[in-house]
Amino acid sequence: MSVSRRDFIKKTAALTAAGYVGMNLPFSATESEAAGVAKWNPGTCRLCGVGCRVEIGTNAAGRPVAARGITKSRTNFGYLCMKGMMFYKIMNHPDRLTKPLYRASKKDKFQEISWDKALDIAAEKFATAKKQYGPDSTAYYGSGQAQTEETYLFQKVMRVALQTNNVEGNPRLCMASAVGGYLTSMGADEPIGSYGDIEKSSVIFLIGSNMASAHPVLFRRVMRHKLNNKDKVTIINADPRVSDTSRVADIHMQFDTNKDLAMMNAMAYTIIEEKLYDKKFIDDYCVFRKGKKVKVDMAEYWKSLQDYSPEKAEKICGGNITAGMIRKVARLFAKSDGTMSFWCMGINQRKRGVWANNLIHNLHMLTGQLCKPGADSFSLTGQPNACGGVREGGGLCHILPGHRLVAKKKLRNQAEDLWGVPRGRLAPKPGYHTIKMFRKVNEGAIKAIWINCTSPAQSLPDCDKYRKGMAREDVFMVCTDIFPTRTTELANLILPTAFHFEKTGVYGCSERRSQLTQKAVAAPGEAKPETWIVTEWGKRLAEKLNDRIALKAVQPFLGKDPDFAQPKAIWDEYTQKLTKHRDNDLRGATYTVLKQMPDGVQWPAPTEKFALTGGTTMKFVKGLDPMATTESKDDKPFQFYGPAHKDRKLWIWLRPQAESGEEPDANYPMYLSTGRVVDHWHTTSMTGRIPEIMRSNPWAYVEVNPKDAQKMGIKPNDMVEIETRRGKVVMPAKVKVGPIEGTVFAYWHDMAEERMINKVLKDTFDPGSKEPEFKICACKIRRVSGPKALKPFIVT
Amino acid sequence: MRSSRRTILKIFAAFAGFFAWPTRARAKTLATSPVKTNWLRPPGAVMEHHYPGKCIRCGRCAEVCPYRCIELLDIRHGLNAGTPIVKAEKVPCYLCMKCVHVCPTGALTPLEQHETRMGLAVVDRHSCVSWQEDSLLMCKTCYNVCPYPEKAITVHDYKPTVHAEHCTGCGICTQACLVNREMGGKAINIEPIYATVKLPRGVQ
Repeated sequence: MSVSRRDFIKKTAALTAAGYVGMNLPFSATESEAAGVAKWNPGTCRLCGVGCRVEIGTNAAGRPVAARGITKSRTNFGYLCMKGMMFYKIMNHPDRLTKPLYRASKKDKFQEISWDKALDIAAEKFATAKKQYGPDSTAYYGSGQAQTEETYLFQKVMRVALQTNNVEGNPRLCMASAVGGYLTSMGADEPIGSYGDIEKSSVIFLIGSNMASAHPVLFRRVMRHKLNNKDKVTIINADPRVSDTSRVADIHMQFDTNKDLAMMNAMAYTIIEEKLYDKKFIDDYCVFRKGKKVKVDMAEYWKSLQDYSPEKAEKICGGNITAGMIRKVARLFAKSDGTMSFWCMGINQRKRGVWANNLIHNLHMLTGQLCKPGADSFSLTGQPNACGGVREGGGLCHILPGHRLVAKKKLRNQAEDLWGVPRGRLAPKPGYHTIKMFRKVNEGAIKAIWINCTSPAQSLPDCDKYRKGMAREDVFMVCTDIFPTRTTELANLILPTAFHFEKTGVYGCSERRSQLTQKAVAAPGEAKPETWIVTEWGKRLAEKLNDRIALKAVQPFLGKDPDFAQPKAIWDEYTQKLTKHRDNDLRGATYTVLKQMPDGVQWPAPTEKFALTGGTTMKFVKGLDPMATTESKDDKPFQFYGPAHKDRKLWIWLRPQAESGEEPDANYPMYLSTGRVVDHWHTTSMTGRIPEIMRSNPWAYVEVNPKDAQKMGIKPNDMVEIETRRGKVVMPAKVKVGPIEGTVFAYWHDMAEERMINKVLKDTFDPGSKEPEFKICACKIRRVSGPKALKPFIVT
Repeated sequence: MRSSRRTILKIFAAFAGFFAWPTRARAKTLATSPVKTNWLRPPGAVMEHHYPGKCIRCGRCAEVCPYRCIELLDIRHGLNAGTPIVKAEKVPCYLCMKCVHVCPTGALTPLEQHETRMGLAVVDRHSCVSWQEDSLLMCKTCYNVCPYPEKAITVHDYKPTVHAEHCTGCGICTQACLVNREMGGKAINIEPIYATVKLPRGVQ
């Protein structure tokens, strides 16, 4: 850097003046210059499901040195949370895995080996497992953070080459109930509207979501909308816990843990009792359902609600819920110009998660608060690519790409034809869902499992039980990851992968928006993009299996440049072939189009011309959604063409209040709930390595209601033992008006053995969606000691 | 008199050098108080000019502190060697109030958590990311970690403001602040303003 004489004098004078008055000069305006940014590379944030667009600044040497939001993006308008601003820092972290590591026995130490050998071993083990124990002895467990191309390719290799449907991913732990809810209620997965409806809404109903911590950038839009229209917008927050989100709420409905089903039924009761429903909308588009085959009428629906009159619900719900409050909220909900509901894990991670989802949809269908500006029933997604990659790309055991069910022969045959493999090649039965998959690992029925970009050893409920299975000597486990985690500790083979921005691929966020991130930084050491790893592995697998059809899974992508041409070829195959004429038609969202867009494209987007406008902001509405016109069967303005409902109707379900998987009793008198904090991401393998973030939130806490704390003599920061039927953990307490009396709330991110809350959770799961109930189990707590000096911990 | 450009520069540089010389270094003596920004006495400390006289350097406050946040000063601090200090940037005070009860001399006097005034948190609006003009970064870490959120720190549009009537000066916000040294110091710092000024009775 050269400085002119004049500049030097100016700076000296300024510094002197500043030193004299004792303040720091504002250097932030020139921070990017100071960091030496040579180029800004657009992409998507690596962390939550909001899908913020972010630019990574690289210096002349090509290393990432800064990040900033993209103001033209319609998701975040340039805003970033602190995780989003800092995540680029881990790309340079010394803990990055840079070489393939292998050990034959899980007792040995890891040895560095070459890629050639590593892939040979992986292929050999999977091929042997298939030959000796059958296709279902192999499994893939992926992630809602893997790019769409990766998930698509993994599931294709598993299904075509290994002929198993044991393809699962961590979205089973977070989104499955929302998928079940959308499919059963609306016949089509994923929300109808967009984030843009926030600014058009007049009532926002937040239930089971701490948006302020889990989706901070989207929460800013909700908050801004409220602050700009103080008298016109009402925000209702329904949650047993008072969280940061409750701060903007006009009404906080605090019910006892697990009583929300009764509460929402009581709202529906009021809507019918006071004739607040939209008769035309119901007549035109809705039917009432009791079971899959049982159609009922409104009279019977009304009869089923008789147990949930607001007065009765007041008694069931407890907390601060009164009959008057339920009536007031129901009126607000029904009469507003546009009501938008948001929910997340508080609804999904439940034993009756699908039912809870149905009940929210019911309220929207009864009142006609759908398919109009500012009205939607919107499920928030936790992970950046749970919607795009896993739900749409076929990353779960029961679905093929393009929302095709495995169990349906016609749809299976479609996939076989498109992939150019003989009919009957794909296994006809859905594979094991997550909990069952890891139970099979425990039994030793699964001999080879590939875990990509996630850490089930920490993120599964009752994880100690499942770690025993993963530690078995006869289970060969491959992990593809960027950092050591609790799961890589149990692996046989660790393959280092390229991080986001070190490879090219697409992420699809909550609002059906697909966004491209191109490679901008070189991956450290020998780390490779997953697409390259899988194509090479697939090639060797076909050799070991001696099966020409198996090669078809990866043949079109072999030998292509893994930084761009390869993911592009995979994306093209997936979008042009597999999504054609499906409800998530992405044919218009080619790489060429995605590169031009500051944000991305919302499906359905059948043509490039339409994709360039940004895609569909509201599904099913003629004029906004091209497929509503092409799929039209009558002249009504909305066409619910979702693949799951042949009758093209919305289904209003009769769903009663139900118990959770483990209710408190005399021995374990309290509810235990778990959740996120704003600073951390999942198992902290990434955010734990950003010193700034780790300093602001170094370990897990358990939040205890002040009344409970007083009864048990717990003071702030006292060490508290949480005991359940599965085991014990000890963590410091936060005494605050947060969880409702009788419930404690623990943060789940911490990697330290003694504070890993998932060890004590119960692995009950929803019988419909198979999603485990992370939010509720029974526990007892006890003060063990006063405050202690703790150390932040990450696995290295 | 016509002075050359060079002379003016020289004079200017001399002035600059004089003022740039830290004030404390100029006047530092063996009795100089170690208390400064983010270097605080434990809760309930008497006025700073009495402190070295009242404290007998028994170290019991440091011993009882469960978070190891109280350090004892070493010989470089002259008269104050052996007296306790809380370095808020390193490990802040979590207000467990154990130290005030073990002090044998009354250098630390017992008081309630909310009465503690170790200092006052001051937001440096020049380096706080949320206070930048047109800031697109949404940080409210100081608010999140504050033991008295909504009282001691409030946020409006993610911009934090500290309220002296509730701020205890515990330093938890300072330690947690995401702005780091390379970017020009912490954006929220604890100034020990109560160490030298006696507040009238009843004023918090």
